[in-house]
Amino acid sequence: MNAPSWVRDVFEHYLICEFTSIDNGKPVTFPLLFFYNDDGHRFVVTSSILFSRKIEHMKKNPKVSLLFSNPEGSGVEKHVVLVQGVAKCDDSDLDHGWERYLPMWRKKEPYIDGFLAAREQFAWFWKRIVVEVEPKKILAWKNGDTAKPAEEINL
Amino acid sequence: MEERGHRETRGGNQPLTSLDLVDPDRLSRFRYGVVTWIDKDGFPFSVATDFLLSENGEILLKRPSVPAIITGGRVGVLFNHITGIPTGGYTDRRYILVWGRVSEDKGFLKLHAEELSEWDEKILPFDKLCAAAVPQAKRYLESLQPSIDA
Repeated sequence: MNAPSWVRDVFEHYLICEFTSIDNGKPVTFPLLFFYNDDGHRFVVTSSILFSRKIEHMKKNPKVSLLFSNPEGSGVEKHVVLVQGVAKCDDSDLDHGWERYLPMWRKKEPYIDGFLAAREQFAWFWKRIVVEVEPKKILAWKNGDTAKPAEEINL
Repeated sequence: MEERGHRETRGGNQPLTSLDLVDPDRLSRFRYGVVTWIDKDGFPFSVATDFLLSENGEILLKRPSVPAIITGGRVGVLFNHITGIPTGGYTDRRYILVWGRVSEDKGFLKLHAEELSEWDEKILPFDKLCAAAVPQAKRYLESLQPSIDA
């Protein structure tokens, strides 16, 4: 991805994004922990089956967006970046498929190992679907000033 | 952080004002909103923008510089908060997600709230939220069953 360094900082260091799926034409937006896979230029979120309505939405309509607007806890200056893309949901291995993202998860939430230690107690939480988003369009507002036109990032 | 909700309210047939749905005191604890609608290509389009509450408790969104929002069109507005932890991660999670329609109002977009979903971990702790969501988990597993049986 041919993105300026400030956009890459957002992808690599922001903790959460505002993730939108579409439910029968209605946008449904929730804050989600995300991971950025630089190798394949893909964005990844995982979802417990407890909170799987968004997965049901994406299976019907894979068009999604991720907004990066909240630098809290990231050490990065505030910028705003919108990624529109197509989601692919993988629920073929609910117990272990998501575990390949644990190293990235640990970096963002060091206390996650405490929850993992209580995996039996939170059994439903740890049955997780992996959602990989292929970006189709990226718009970015440097310094978060959305009153100014966005810069389109080349994919 | 995952989608959560300890309250969902539908307007039904009764005309509601934003004040009927959204507590201004709670909303004032958020710094900005994320406005989302469906664009001409069918993708969700989100942008962050500042907001203010009028004396009447109306939600006024600062107009962002983006392809035009269809006046009267349906939008979702997420107000979200986390507090970063110095050693990593975050806490104090809360959000309010409001659906409604927007109209022009003196250079702002006035949000006419129709529906709401919210969660505040200080009100509903995470473990209790998980317990409440077990029926959804069971439904999802049941939806996978045909492919497992095949």
